Amino acid sequence: MQNSESNTWMQRSIPISLVLMTALAVHLPLLLLMLPLKSYDTNLHIFFASHYAHHWFDPWNTKWYAGFTQTTYPPLPQQWVALISPLLGLDLGYMAIQLIAILLLAVGVYRFSLLWVSPRAASFAALASVFLGSESFLVYSAGQLPTTFAAPIYLNALPFLFEWVRFRSWSSFFKAIALFTAAAAAHHFTLLFGSFFFAIPVLALAFRDRADGQSVTMRACAMRTILIVAVVSVAIAVVLLPFWIALFRYPVTQTPIPHPSRANYILNPEWGLNYFVIPYGAMILALPYIIVRGSTFARLRPLLFGFWIAFLIGLGGTTPVGHWLLGRAFDVLTMERFSYWATLLALPIVGMMASELVGRFRATAAFALSILAAGTCAAAVGWVTWHPNDAQDFKVNEVAAWLNRDGHDSYRYVTLGFGNKLSRLSTLTDAGSVDGEWNSGRRLPELTHYGVGALTSSKYFGEAGLDSLRAMLRHADYYGLKWVIVRDHYYDPLLWFAGWRPVDSLDDKTITIWSKDGVPPATAVNSSQIPPRWQGLMWGTLPFGSSVIAIFLLLIPARKRHRVRHEYPFPVNEEDLAPGRLAS
Amino acid sequence: MRRGFPLLMTGLALAMMADLAIAQEQGINLPKSIEAGSVFSVRCSGSGEGTVYIVGPGQVLRRDVQLGSTTSFPAGSLTHAGRYLAILSASGSSSDAGSNPVSSFDVVPASEPAKISFLARPSRLPVDIHDAITGAVYLFDTYQNLILTPMPVSFDLTNPSGAGQKRSVTTRDGAAWTAMDSSAHDGTDHFVASAGDVSSARAVVQVAGDACNLRMSVTPSDGKLVVATDPVRDCSGNAVPDGTIVTFTEAANGSKTTVDVPLKRGIAKVEMPEVQGAIFTVASGVSLGNQVRWEK
Amino acid sequence: MNKGGLLAVFIFAVTILLVVAGTRWPVPSAAAYAGGGQVSRTASSPEAAVSNLCDRIRAHAWDDAYNSLANKARFSALDFQHDLNGTYPGLLTYTNLDSFEMQPLHASASDAEIRLRLKWATVVGPSVTTRQLRVVRNGDRWQVEWPITSQPTLAPEVIPVNYLRWDVIDRGAGDDWGMQNVDAPHVRIVDMHPVQRAEGTVILGELLNDDIYPAYVAVTATLLRKDQTPIATEGSFDKISHVLLPKQVTPFLILFPDVTLADVGSVRMTPFSSLIAASADPVIEIQSQHMSPAPDASLSGQLVNQSGQVANVAHVLAAFYDSTGQVVWIADQYVDRALLPQTPTPFDIHIPEDLARKIASERTVVASYSFGGTES
Repeated sequence: MQNSESNTWMQRSIPISLVLMTALAVHLPLLLLMLPLKSYDTNLHIFFASHYAHHWFDPWNTKWYAGFTQTTYPPLPQQWVALISPLLGLDLGYMAIQLIAILLLAVGVYRFSLLWVSPRAASFAALASVFLGSESFLVYSAGQLPTTFAAPIYLNALPFLFEWVRFRSWSSFFKAIALFTAAAAAHHFTLLFGSFFFAIPVLALAFRDRADGQSVTMRACAMRTILIVAVVSVAIAVVLLPFWIALFRYPVTQTPIPHPSRANYILNPEWGLNYFVIPYGAMILALPYIIVRGSTFARLRPLLFGFWIAFLIGLGGTTPVGHWLLGRAFDVLTMERFSYWATLLALPIVGMMASELVGRFRATAAFALSILAAGTCAAAVGWVTWHPNDAQDFKVNEVAAWLNRDGHDSYRYVTLGFGNKLSRLSTLTDAGSVDGEWNSGRRLPELTHYGVGALTSSKYFGEAGLDSLRAMLRHADYYGLKWVIVRDHYYDPLLWFAGWRPVDSLDDKTITIWSKDGVPPATAVNSSQIPPRWQGLMWGTLPFGSSVIAIFLLLIPARKRHRVRHEYPFPVNEEDLAPGRLAS
Repeated sequence: MRRGFPLLMTGLALAMMADLAIAQEQGINLPKSIEAGSVFSVRCSGSGEGTVYIVGPGQVLRRDVQLGSTTSFPAGSLTHAGRYLAILSASGSSSDAGSNPVSSFDVVPASEPAKISFLARPSRLPVDIHDAITGAVYLFDTYQNLILTPMPVSFDLTNPSGAGQKRSVTTRDGAAWTAMDSSAHDGTDHFVASAGDVSSARAVVQVAGDACNLRMSVTPSDGKLVVATDPVRDCSGNAVPDGTIVTFTEAANGSKTTVDVPLKRGIAKVEMPEVQGAIFTVASGVSLGNQVRWEK
Repeated sequence: MNKGGLLAVFIFAVTILLVVAGTRWPVPSAAAYAGGGQVSRTASSPEAAVSNLCDRIRAHAWDDAYNSLANKARFSALDFQHDLNGTYPGLLTYTNLDSFEMQPLHASASDAEIRLRLKWATVVGPSVTTRQLRVVRNGDRWQVEWPITSQPTLAPEVIPVNYLRWDVIDRGAGDDWGMQNVDAPHVRIVDMHPVQRAEGTVILGELLNDDIYPAYVAVTATLLRKDQTPIATEGSFDKISHVLLPKQVTPFLILFPDVTLADVGSVRMTPFSSLIAASADPVIEIQSQHMSPAPDASLSGQLVNQSGQVANVAHVLAAFYDSTGQVVWIADQYVDRALLPQTPTPFDIHIPEDLARKIASERTVVASYSFGGTES
């Protein structure tokens, strides 16, 4: 009897509430430990949020690059962090928004998977999203809040797109528009590439399913598609208008910066581990299944093609596909987000596999899958400790305090050997720097002509990096660059021969402050790039407003619609075959 | 500070309205001028109670008074020199503030200087230059008020041997200045400015000029040549300071060896390669020295 | 096999083919990470053997590089590393190999000679070292015989140090107004001469510390059009010796890229000086300076550190004069080896060929830096 009950339980869908509880149980403690603060980009997003917290309607940030506009980066998640920062502080605010993104992802994966597989398989997919290696990698190692914030919004929008194109549901039309716009306001690349990897398979599915049940003509589907694409395009154009203006006025023509995600993972196994093994984790074992099942079941083929292309691009320089398809963008984008999207696209099929395995092997499969999922998640979370982005962990508070006192902040500074602590320092200090970590926002020729990242890590970019640093130091008087804050004595000879002198040391003499005599106080140097006031008002209103509208629209209950019954490849139990409701 | 600001604003408002004041039964009597920081008293005529506001540059006082009596203010009450207004606001008077009695008076700096700000330039210069040393003083009282009344100031420039130059200048608008010659010998001169009982001293370093009659000699030592200058002096005979760079050059067989050597204890000395027929030259800054040809 | 099966096979096959293609012929960005372009070759030719060695040096895989050498029995791995990077910390110690060039000189079935130019990306600019390598055939592979040069080491010794040192106490922020400060050192430009070069307009000159204290110096120049509007302002950056002891003269060079001298009406020079804590050591002698005529005109010589302390990085600045005594060019070189006491270290400064014929004399100064300390 007991055994029978247990088996019944094994054949049911996992309630989405349980999935959300699992997500909370796994990620809340990790986020409360502030683990993302060790990642590459978390401090960058906190730095942006810090600016919004102080200057919501003024995107001109004077703390980096002698002044740059934050309209070069969609603002939504950072503005949300800024909004709740008075209550929780910036760090905890960031963690709260990140947690919401993780929870939204579980819901989004569930709803997206329902388009392709049974509710039971979809629930497994949702549960798998909690342990997804690529998600943990992006959250705890890469710190890509916008990507992990935009993807769930986008996934949640896709079922509405399907419902609109397939069933002409006006409620879904508006919800889809609101969510797509909010997703774009969170991360423009997600929307741009998501259209190819996610939306096209969903549209293909809608077109494919048009004859089932409530049939609809091809022409009607096409017209609906065109209409929603047009409206979403206009909405995004308006909401992110300052972004487009900045992009067209100052197109990204910088020399590409090398990034290890574009390496060949076989020739450079250390990066293969970082960008393939860790993000995919145990899903690597499922790759044959994903391809075989995705191929053999015709309905899943659009999803399989989306996954395959994202997978190949996500392999970086391991295959020439990214280079062929993306062209110059291949040398500008980082590839880990493609692996992230590939894993999201694979989740419905992985959910189906899990459903089958648990249906067939019961507790044994459940146990094995749990171990694999937990191991994948743990490896991705632990990766930031085993393979730290910044080998030398140190606090920058003392440096910030030094810059903030005795008028030191009248001059600009540059750090050397600070890695990604630069964003943290910039958040804490009032002084401005000529350096920064948001490469697309910089306009100074000393930084854009050499194909290097932040000056603080210039030695890692070889001769080009050092040329860039020398060019900047050469123009120190022009930029009011008086302080060079050094945590790597490699740079000392250059500073010495270029006329800087050590004037102070901090943090138990591990940090030296070098100064140059005769440097005039910093003045505005690129004020022609300051966005006009109306752009500031738009930037402070529309992107954030789009998310508020999306939330309100989602609160409007949808009409229940019975989904057409589909034949799933392995109807291992009744649940898989039962017609379900498309979640909304 | 928090209390001071509203008080100041109230006082200023009353002062503005006081321009329209007309003769009153109530009155306020003050001396025409008082010395900064000194004791003074205010006599308010009339009867009843009132409040006296004294408003001036950077300072406001408020005091409740009994009309018809004299109120004393202790030393140090008013310290900033300038023109002040005293306004009497009687309690129970009409709300028309324009009827408040007003009187003005001056707070002047103390007559004796308490501090001298002395600017002496330069701090360091070569010997024997006419009018090269300048000194300027500003006289202040205890409360940092610039004393504008003319006062005699004495400037003394004394060299280590005791000889010196002396000037006496009377201040004009609180300042006095002078120019003096640097002496013929190097050393640290004391430049003192004094007025009344106060004085201020500065050091003016007078240093040797360029090297003069620079001479060197070459002597063999363990297969090398030791090249050394005689004690290096300027044209007035002052020793050129240690640390001054002397450049030795050895030219032979189409190649050259140079070395910049700092003076130590008055001479520069270095070892150079021994090459038959080498020509040695010496220079310091723009001064050239002798030339030596090395022949064994 | 059904359609789905065929599709799965197709996806597997194409994926594998793409991975093979991406590995065999990496795209440029992947090639850059893979160390120059291709998978590490088998040393099937002399060039491949040298190339593999350089890849290992670039990757700081010292043991692998050492183990690949044919003559490794004659020296240790540490000797090999010191030969490349120096025994004492110097410019090359923490530097990465940026690129390398090979020039085959001779080849036979059993051995070959290759001239190797190693270009290092040092913090102060690129530094090139050249080695002539013998590559020998050993069975089916080639191995490099590394021309080891023994690095000088210092014998244990106590050297009494008695040198001049200056410290500076500036007036504090809390001092009274009018409190006397110590004046900045008096410096003056003793020569200045603008010239037109292919890279732009260049200001050449010399600066003298006319004071009795060491001075930190810098020079900036502003080019003005004929209507006195500014064209550009640039500084001497590292083309000057920034610390001058009393009566010391430094040459300086200021480059204005992309500015034509014909457009320049006048030049506004702004020398800057301030007091600086400094020491009179180390004294560095420049021995055996010799001008080689064009082509390949250069000024070569040896630096001899007369002091007891190691100077980790030395910067040689040379001013070249014509027969009338006017400065015609200023050139410099960073010496990539540490200057050990009493140990000659060579330098070689390239002179532009078109100027070499005009040069009648030269004057050279040396600035140095020691890790963990401040030097002159």
